[in-house]
Amino acid sequence: MSQQQAAAVLILPFLVIYMVFLIYPFFRGIWISFHDWNLLAVAFNPDAKEFVGLKNYSRVMWGKNITWSFFHSPFWQTGAVILALVTFWAKDAGRLKSSLAWLIIFIAFLIFFVMGLYPDEGGRWYDRRFWPTVANTILFVALTVPSVTFVALFLAAALNRETRAMSVLRTLFFLSNVLSVTVVTLIWQIMFSPRQGLVANITEAFGGSPIIWLTDVQFAMAAIVITTVWWSIGIAMILFLAGMQDISAELYEAGALDNAKGLKAFWFITLPNLKRTMTVVVVLQIILHFQVFGQVHLMTNGGPNDTTQVLVRYIYQTAFRDSELGRAAVMAVFLFVIMGGFSAIQLILGREES
Amino acid sequence: MLSRSYYALVIVLAIPAFIWLVPTIWMLSLSFQPNDVLARTTSSTGFGLIPIPFTFENFFALFAFGHTPLWFFNSIIVALGMTLGVLVVSTTAGYALARLEFRFKRVVVVICLVGLMIPEQAVFIPLYTMFADFGWHNSYQALILPRVAVPIGVFLMMQFFKGLSKDIEEAARLEGVGWLQIFWYVMLPLARPAMVTLAILTFLYAWNDYLWPLVSAQKREYFTITLGLASIQSNFAQSEGLGRVMASGVIASLPVVGLFLIFQRYVVRAMSVGGSKG
Repeated sequence: MSQQQAAAVLILPFLVIYMVFLIYPFFRGIWISFHDWNLLAVAFNPDAKEFVGLKNYSRVMWGKNITWSFFHSPFWQTGAVILALVTFWAKDAGRLKSSLAWLIIFIAFLIFFVMGLYPDEGGRWYDRRFWPTVANTILFVALTVPSVTFVALFLAAALNRETRAMSVLRTLFFLSNVLSVTVVTLIWQIMFSPRQGLVANITEAFGGSPIIWLTDVQFAMAAIVITTVWWSIGIAMILFLAGMQDISAELYEAGALDNAKGLKAFWFITLPNLKRTMTVVVVLQIILHFQVFGQVHLMTNGGPNDTTQVLVRYIYQTAFRDSELGRAAVMAVFLFVIMGGFSAIQLILGREES
Repeated sequence: MLSRSYYALVIVLAIPAFIWLVPTIWMLSLSFQPNDVLARTTSSTGFGLIPIPFTFENFFALFAFGHTPLWFFNSIIVALGMTLGVLVVSTTAGYALARLEFRFKRVVVVICLVGLMIPEQAVFIPLYTMFADFGWHNSYQALILPRVAVPIGVFLMMQFFKGLSKDIEEAARLEGVGWLQIFWYVMLPLARPAMVTLAILTFLYAWNDYLWPLVSAQKREYFTITLGLASIQSNFAQSEGLGRVMASGVIASLPVVGLFLIFQRYVVRAMSVGGSKG
C-alpha cells in the first residue's frame, strides 16, 4: 500500500464524521438563517420554509427609525475614544505589540459605533430582548473572568510548592471543576434558597435577614457569578501553575540576591513572566463563559425580569420554545462571529508561542 | 527545613479551601439525611454539614424506583462510546497528519483549524434538524456522533506523534513493513500516555455535556444522568424529596470525581494541555 493510500485510510474516518457533523451543519446553519423557518411547520411539511434573504438579521439586530449620534451614551463612547487613544500611545511607546494594539483599537471603535445607535422618535428595536441579552452576557463575562483570574492567580502563587499539604489543597480547590453543570446548579440552587439554603441559615444565625438571591433583580446575576467562579476556578489555577513552573528557578535565585523575595518576587519576577499564560487564561475564559447556558437555564430561568437572560439561552428558547429556527440561526451566527474572533486571537497567540 | 511561615501559609490557605469544599460536603451530607427531617429543616447538625440524623434510605430508594440507574447506564454508554470514537479517529488522523506525506494535507489542516473556531452552540440548531431528518433523536448515536470528530483531539495526537523519534519508523520501513502495520504495532503502543490524556478529557466532557443531550433526547429513557438530574431538580421539594435529589447528585458525580482522584496527575495534565490549546 502506498503512502498516499495509507494516509487516506487513516484520515478518512475522521474527515467524513467531521465534515458531516461539524462543517456541513455550520454552513447549513448559515443557510437556515436566510429562511423563515418554523420548526413545527417544516417538520410536517419540508417545503414550509421560505427564503427571506437578510430579513431575519434585521428582525434580530435592527429596528425602526434607528439613528446614530456622536454621543448617545457619552460614558461608553468617550470611554471607547479614550481607550483607543491610550492604546495608540502605548503602541507608539513600544509598550504593546502592534497586533494586539490594533485589535484593541478595533474593538474600541466597534464600541464607539454600536453604543451610538438608538431608536429615534416613534422607532423601536424589532427584537427588544436581543441587545439587552447580549449586554447581560457581556456583563456576566465582565464579572466572572476578572474574578476567576485574580482568585486563581492568587491561589496558584500561594500553592506553587511541591509539598504534600499544598498538593492536597490544590486538589480541594480543583475538585468542583470536574462536577457537571447540573450538579453545580443543584448544589447552589439549594445553597441560595431563602428557606432551606446554607447561605440563608448562616446569615440568620448571625442575625441577618436572608436574601432571596435567585429572584431578586439585584442579586440574581451575582448568584450566577458566584456559582460560576466556584465551579471554574480550578482550570485557571492549573494553567497558572503550569505557567509558573516554566519560570526558571535561576531568575528567583538572582532576584533573591537583589533582595526580591515573597511579594516582591511575585510582582517583579512571576507576573512579568506570566504574560502569555495570562492572555491564554483570559481569552480561554472569555470564550468559555460567553457560552454560559446551564447555570442560568437551571437556576434563574433568565429571570427575574430578564436580568440574567443570556445569549445561548435566548437561542435555545427562540429555536425550541418559539420554534423560530431562522431567527435563532441568526443569533447563532452572531455568536460564532464573536467566538470565532476570540478563537482567532487565541490561535494567533498560540502560534507565536510555538 | 520548611519554615514557620510555610506552616502559617498552609493554615491560612486551609480556611478558603474548606470554604470551597463546603457546598460539596453539604450535598453529600444532605443525601444521607431523611427526607421528612429535611422537609422541616436543612440545618439539623452543624448547619446540616454533619449528616445526623443519618440514613441510607435515599440511595436505596434511587435504585428501587425512578430513572436514575437507567440514566447512569446511558451516561456510561455515551461517555465510553464517545471516548472510544474520539480515540480512534484522533489517533489515526493525528498520525497521518504528523508522519505521512499526502496530497491535500495542508487543506485538511486548514479545515481542522477552522473547526477549532466553531463553538458547539453555533451548530446545535442545524444538527437538530439533521438528526430529525434522519429520525435519529432519542438514540445513543445521536448523543455520541456529533462529538466524535473534534479537531482538538487530532491536534493533541498530531503534536504527540510529531515529537516521537523517526528512527524506529524508518528501521521498520527498511524491513518492508507497511504504514498501517507501523501505525498499529509501533506507534499506537508509544502513544499510550497521550491517549490516556485525551480519553480523560473526552470522558469528562461527555459525562458533563448538557446542551446537546437537552436538545436531542426528549424521551426520559434516553436521558443521560446530567440531563436527568436537571429534570428532577426543578421540582425537588414536592416530588422526590431533597435527600433523594441530593443522592442523585452524588451518584452523578461519583464517576468523574473518582476518575479525577485516581488519575489526578493525568487529569491535571490533560486540563493544562487541552486548556492552553483550545
